[in-house]
Amino acid sequence: MEGYLVAMATFAALYALLALGLNLVWGMTGMINLGLVGFYAVGAYVSALLTKKAGWPMAVGLVAAMLAAATAGALVALVTGRLRGDYLAIITLGFSEVVRLVASNEIWLTNGTDGISGIPGPWRGQVAPATFNAIYLVLSGAAVAIVFLAMQRVRHSPYGRVLRAIRDDDQVAAVAGKRVMAFKVEAFALSAAVLGLAGALYAHYTSYIAPEGFVPLISIYIVLALTAGGTGSNAGAVVGAFLVVFFLESTRFITAGLPGLKPVQVAAVREFLIGAGLIAVLRVRPSGLLPERLPRHAPPRTPSGGR
Amino acid sequence: MIEVLQLLINGLVAGTILAVPAIGFTAIYAVLRFPNFTVASHATIGAFAGYVANTAFGFPAWAAVAVAFVVTGAAGVVNDEIVLKPLRPAGALTAAIAAVALTIVLENVIRFVWGNDLRGYDLPIRRDWQWAGIRVGPQQVENLAIAIAAMGALFLFLAFTRTGKAMRAVADNPMLAGIKGIDADRVARLVNFVGMGLAGVGGMLLGLDTSIDPLTGFRVILSVFAAAVVGGLGSIPGAVVGALTIGVAEELSLLSLAPAYKTAVGFAAILVVLTLRPRGLLGERAF
Amino acid sequence: MTDDCIPMSRRTLLTGAAALALATAAPGAARAQGGPIRLGTLTPLTGAGGSYGPSMRRAMEWVASEVNAAGGVLGRKVELASEDDQTNPEAAVRAARKLIDVDKVAAIMGTWASAVTTAVAPLCWESKTFLTTVSGSDTITQLPHQGYLVRTQPNTHLQIGKLGEFLLSLKVKRVFVLGAQTPFAVPSQKRLGEVLSAGGSELIGGLVYDKDKTTFRSEIDQALKARPDMIYLNGYTPDTTVLMKELYKVGYTAGKVAQGYAVNQKLLDSLPAEVTDGTYTATPSPAVDSAGYKRLAKFLGTADLDPYSCQCHDHISLVLLSIARARGEATGTAIRDNIRKISQGNGIKVDSAVDGLKLIAQGKDINYEGASGPCDFTEIGDIVDCKIRFDRAEKTKLKQIAIL
Repeated sequence: MEGYLVAMATFAALYALLALGLNLVWGMTGMINLGLVGFYAVGAYVSALLTKKAGWPMAVGLVAAMLAAATAGALVALVTGRLRGDYLAIITLGFSEVVRLVASNEIWLTNGTDGISGIPGPWRGQVAPATFNAIYLVLSGAAVAIVFLAMQRVRHSPYGRVLRAIRDDDQVAAVAGKRVMAFKVEAFALSAAVLGLAGALYAHYTSYIAPEGFVPLISIYIVLALTAGGTGSNAGAVVGAFLVVFFLESTRFITAGLPGLKPVQVAAVREFLIGAGLIAVLRVRPSGLLPERLPRHAPPRTPSGGR
Repeated sequence: MIEVLQLLINGLVAGTILAVPAIGFTAIYAVLRFPNFTVASHATIGAFAGYVANTAFGFPAWAAVAVAFVVTGAAGVVNDEIVLKPLRPAGALTAAIAAVALTIVLENVIRFVWGNDLRGYDLPIRRDWQWAGIRVGPQQVENLAIAIAAMGALFLFLAFTRTGKAMRAVADNPMLAGIKGIDADRVARLVNFVGMGLAGVGGMLLGLDTSIDPLTGFRVILSVFAAAVVGGLGSIPGAVVGALTIGVAEELSLLSLAPAYKTAVGFAAILVVLTLRPRGLLGERAF
Repeated sequence: MTDDCIPMSRRTLLTGAAALALATAAPGAARAQGGPIRLGTLTPLTGAGGSYGPSMRRAMEWVASEVNAAGGVLGRKVELASEDDQTNPEAAVRAARKLIDVDKVAAIMGTWASAVTTAVAPLCWESKTFLTTVSGSDTITQLPHQGYLVRTQPNTHLQIGKLGEFLLSLKVKRVFVLGAQTPFAVPSQKRLGEVLSAGGSELIGGLVYDKDKTTFRSEIDQALKARPDMIYLNGYTPDTTVLMKELYKVGYTAGKVAQGYAVNQKLLDSLPAEVTDGTYTATPSPAVDSAGYKRLAKFLGTADLDPYSCQCHDHISLVLLSIARARGEATGTAIRDNIRKISQGNGIKVDSAVDGLKLIAQGKDINYEGASGPCDFTEIGDIVDCKIRFDRAEKTKLKQIAIL
């Protein structure tokens, strides 16, 4: 049982990283990214390929993953940076689907739907599996702690204030002389780097990745985690992530108490609850459980809101 | 050369079918001012409503399509009243996110009832018509006819009926329309009924020629959005032009891309248009 | 048990304490002690393999209940923990984690899709859990599984080799492959090309498609441009259904061949006869004459068993017999070290777990011959040989043409 709990805590840590990344672009800069899982995938594949096929050490793989994801993030932001929030939502979603298509079809690079197995991990095979999992939990937890502290520093820095200004009204920020596009691209790239790091950690943890593991639903899990935990708040991001993983896995055990349902129906119920949960949170507490503790006048609005 | 002609024909047929949900999407945008991505799951609802009408009650194709329209339209109104309407004041972005969440909810209701298996309508499988190396399926032609009929009916409705004109007024200038006594709520419900009804018809037309599953609508959402954006969000003629463009572009892309990348074409088209001509081919004026 | 009086010396006490400490520290130790034998089933209850998963699981549950009714394995009851792999490697990995960490099973049995098996295998060999699979992709047995994996399905090399032989016997000259995106898509094509050219025919082309689409118009156009006289549909039931409809619509009248798990009775029942008539299918041939097969058929209530249920019946039988041979040590390592001792060799031939357990209890050597075939394994876990049955669809029923 402990092994299972350790594994779930590790997944929660990875989701927490994703939520922290999303918080940087959405909570702080006001740019929705529904294509999180695309950058997650980029990080995972880059690190997996470099460590397995080129034999480089994992630390290099992690750094390369972050750089690759950041580059992708910068490109996406350059092309879409001027778009309204609602357009950005579907574009970023489309981006993650294209990433998945490429991963499925460019077999020469990614092994296609076969996936990449046997990805090395720190001391994997040299220690007992239970020890490996414990080591990995510590590693992931450390990553979360480091990223959390970094994000907090961003939030309280002048840089963070500029980002929030852009979120609240980027025309005002532009008038105030800030190069809005540059800030947006930077924030997106930084966020993507965090997402890529999470992806690389995921690859080395499970030792197997495949395109089917990078579906848009995961982006929705993270949006839910952040919205439930508190958009704009880093602590909220982490809390929300743990809540989501707890919810997802607990439904696995509840199914034992629902004998009448077929497995596909159980899966449908689970996804249904995720979507409904997000809607409920948006209705009841649009600012989440641990909202931002900064003075704000109104919930985040895009320039042409529909009032 | 024959190959290009075949792709062109496939593209025009696909584009005409795509136009149906694209019009629904853009009309809702014109009146309610936010992109309602639940068009995806409503297309699936329509496909399955028609499926039930066809396989459980024996309706022929055209009657099942009518059922799809009505059922999906009603679902659209209900979903909007319960979920989306209360969130619209919070802004287009919140509404858009809620729409994505709602589409997942609806998709899984369908999955709960029918599972993930592919299903086909109970219609005779007919051989294609072939001349000079070009082939067209009878079902494709029927779908084309139904799509054109739907668009024609919509045009007549908007141009000649009082409620249609009221809808256009609200889309054009909500404040002025309110001053003139037009009930915005009523118009909203109406546009949801018509818009989602069209999405449902589109979903069924997509499935008539092939098969349906809970992901039917989600697979085309990017293309639908692309069609609306390319033509100019909010413009109905724009949606038609955009859909034909996307349909043809997706098919012609097969000349150099693997078939798997068709959806990427829609994505690329959105990027190109938004960079070069953000208001779309026909601009953003509604009707 | 005799009432021995063992003087408890200090050394014995220390040895005993050390053994206890080791036993509780090692992951598999808890499973090795007394108490029920826990095994895991991981089959596709949903997804592309969803038509097979439930009966695969029922076959294993049946063997377990038969063995328990006859007294269990050395007096210990067999308990099964079952999960759905959803024909999806992502879901499968999480389900396998639960089986290994929470249910602490000694073996995981039944994985069907090659991508699922490839994903789950490292978890198994790292935790020293034994894995038995019905997946066919060549790369699976080439993984560094250290012996913790066997499969009862002929590998791609064997399967496609026989398919090629059969096609040559039909005198086809121009074969085109339409394959779904799977681990065996490319190796199948290569192997088929080799066999065909050696026999004077030709593999004129191949195409890999994304199986999650609902229309394949363009793929079909590409295939037909090459003017084949035989198309090999190398996919799963849902996509093959759509492909067959489109081939009919486009007026294709030449040959079609597919694997039996794709063009199965369910597909034949869902399409009109004109669409499917004349399609050849290839299926690993279970040992229909064995008593094991007959009893399983009776239990599952069908005269025509799918090969996967037969193989799963054999999976659990082999695992239980290995545990018995290891004197009740229910660990993956024990299964690995004993499976070939009961599955092949010069022992008494048995075809059921119950009979085999009786003989092992009497100290005899056995050679298990299963419902799916002789179940003799190579060093890396492949079966040594297998018969493939070829059928042809006629008026929505399958008629046997040859067994190679």
